[in-house]
Amino acid sequence: MSKPTSGTRIPVKLHRRVCLIQSEDALLAEELLASKKLSQDLAGRLTDQVLLVRPGRVDAVIQELQRMGHTPRVVARDEGRGTRDEEP
Amino acid sequence: MPLTDPDLWTDYLRETLQCYSESLLRDVTTRLLKPRNQWAAEELIERSLASIDNAAVVDRRLQDLDVASRSVLTLIARSRQPRWRLGNLLELLTALGHSQGPQPVLTLFEIGLLFPDLLGREVRQGADAAAKATAGQASLKTFEQWLGQAGGSGFVVFAHPNVMARALACELELPLLPCVEGLDGAVHEADGLEWPLRLAAMWQLLTESPLRKTQGGDFFKRDLDRLRTDPRLSAAPAESLADTPDGSLLAAELAQIEGLAQADQAELRVGTLPAWWDAGLPETLASLWAALPLLETWNPLDGWRTTETPGNPYPSAYLLALLLLARLPENGWADPDDVEVWICEKHPYWQGEELRPSRRRSWIPTFLLGLAYQLRLVQAAKNPAGEWLVRLSPMGRWVLALSEVPAPAPAFSQTLLVQPNLEIIAYRQGLTPALIGRLTRFAQWKNLGAACMLQLDAATVYRGLESGLTYEAILQLLESHGMRATPPAVTESLRTWANKRERISIYPSGTLFEFGNPEDMNEALARGLPGVRISDRLLVVAGESDIDFRHFRLTGTRDYGLPLEKCVEVDEDGVTLAVDVTRSDLLLETEIARFAEPIDGPSMSGRRRYRLTPDSLAASRQSGLGATDLEAWFLQRTGQSLSPAARLLLGGCQTPAPELRHQLVLHLASSELADGLCQWPGTRQYIRERLGETTLAIAPQDVDALRARLATLGVTVKW
Repeated sequence: MSKPTSGTRIPVKLHRRVCLIQSEDALLAEELLASKKLSQDLAGRLTDQVLLVRPGRVDAVIQELQRMGHTPRVVARDEGRGTRDEEP
Repeated sequence: MPLTDPDLWTDYLRETLQCYSESLLRDVTTRLLKPRNQWAAEELIERSLASIDNAAVVDRRLQDLDVASRSVLTLIARSRQPRWRLGNLLELLTALGHSQGPQPVLTLFEIGLLFPDLLGREVRQGADAAAKATAGQASLKTFEQWLGQAGGSGFVVFAHPNVMARALACELELPLLPCVEGLDGAVHEADGLEWPLRLAAMWQLLTESPLRKTQGGDFFKRDLDRLRTDPRLSAAPAESLADTPDGSLLAAELAQIEGLAQADQAELRVGTLPAWWDAGLPETLASLWAALPLLETWNPLDGWRTTETPGNPYPSAYLLALLLLARLPENGWADPDDVEVWICEKHPYWQGEELRPSRRRSWIPTFLLGLAYQLRLVQAAKNPAGEWLVRLSPMGRWVLALSEVPAPAPAFSQTLLVQPNLEIIAYRQGLTPALIGRLTRFAQWKNLGAACMLQLDAATVYRGLESGLTYEAILQLLESHGMRATPPAVTESLRTWANKRERISIYPSGTLFEFGNPEDMNEALARGLPGVRISDRLLVVAGESDIDFRHFRLTGTRDYGLPLEKCVEVDEDGVTLAVDVTRSDLLLETEIARFAEPIDGPSMSGRRRYRLTPDSLAASRQSGLGATDLEAWFLQRTGQSLSPAARLLLGGCQTPAPELRHQLVLHLASSELADGLCQWPGTRQYIRERLGETTLAIAPQDVDALRARLATLGVTVKW
């Protein structure tokens, strides 16, 4: 990232260690929320395509998504720049 | 186990020397590097490590050693395994005719060329450096102290690879076995791929589910059966001249040693495919050869054995067998039985008179014509009588550091036949350990014969994509190694599965940036914030380490790894919830929307209000949010249970139907009077129900009878 310009820090609220699911479209998000088993591990809908996962339930969510026939991409931090996919 | 990486062992040696007491350290370093000054302990350690790295110093120390001590290091060097059990080394010395017991090992300890394994840790790239054995932290005062302890490491010693390399120049005193020269028959040599293939299949078996272990360290019966009946692991090897008993269990143990499996007390689970497979077949086979001294639960005589069986002489016997073959002339062939005779005569385990006859059964031909042959360490040919004779192969000679690495066979890079039904036939002539590793990541091995078969499906391709492969990389591999163009059906399937994976992304521990307005978010992205937009004010970053926080002023921080905060108050009506927006979080704001409706109007005094309604709770029930979930939510967020009004809205319809009745209520002056009326047989038959302390329900038809009865007591009922 570039050096900050003096006096122009951007105000932001930070939410750390959030577990969320981003779907390709809103319809897919609806489908996931409609699943009774999956919805128990979901806290709710952040946006049309983004669902919040309850803390500590990410592994169960991944397993349930796979059981439903989905192949979720798990996005984790790379050691270098950007993101890298990892095995769930 | 990778080839000996000197840097890793230098670090391990440093930690080991730090476990020596200062007096012991000075004794050892005095003999190793003959210091002229009085250095501090840390300085002595660093100078010792530098001496180990100095070939001239090591050579001088080796020359000062007696034959037995030098032989110990040469044996370790030929094995390529720096770490050995002390017992096995003593067996080797005895077989070579050195009967001084542990003295040669003690000599090497004292001179600083061999070290007791005080840490008991794996030495491998990626091994957990933080896990230190508590035994290693104790200060070792004398080597006799270590020998006298019943150590958890089981008296394991190690040599530094640099010392091993210099010890190769020393000769071992081994006899020349009877040999036959100039055989005319065909020379049989395996391709060396059998065990990399089996280990790859083992890795895939573990990706499906781990193998569970009992408290004693054995496998549970179900998992033992799973291992023994796996068609890939239980099938006979494509190239073998003798049966390898319990090959699937040998694969499990080798996988653990090589890092493809990770073991703890409870289970054996999937590890990582070895990086050194990319270095080629010689490196792969050398690593497997170096793993043989570490085999404890498998041997060629018994196959798989429980850990209770005492004694494990096989590691030393494997090394002796191949070293005996190394003595043969270039065109010489030996009878495996002659190798066995010599070992049984010289090896102390088989010399013992108390050894049971069952332990004296032949096994060395099984080893040489089975595992050693499959590892391409030996060649075999038949003598005129039709019996197998063996000699070291060029690969075996290189593995024992007796010659240069053999020239690679001509490469057949086009070795895959990809079929429209998603099956892949892989011809072994063109397979390499590197290709085996890559195929293992995204295709499933079905059989491991002369022509191996793999299957592509959604699950295996997904596994490959999750491991870091891309659709393009998979396709390119199939194209570059394919004997013909990849069928369109296969390409299309790969694309479909790859695209499907892009449909859902999960951020297990992301950092969410919540901006006040879209312009701020655009500015942050322009400054290089590596995130993904999820709304006009929200942006997610997979991890925090790449974020330059100097660009931001934090107006609030919430860590979702910490316990949830109580930030909701319940009004007196039991259904209105007031959220403290300064302490709330995304979870609360999304959760509460599932079962409560926002109350219109701006938030007052930093509070946002919601109300539970029959409709909102019915919707939450339909979405799977039950009473138990709400109860838990209320306890977490408000500090109290669901209000009675909320319970009524939530579960009123599920209670038994209430009943409206006509009844008369008799009001009494005291509860004792009511007690008396309920108890006295003369009146209790007329009491339908006690409504309260001083009120009783009376049926209309019983009024006259009750009044009359009470009149007999002098009690007049006002009516």
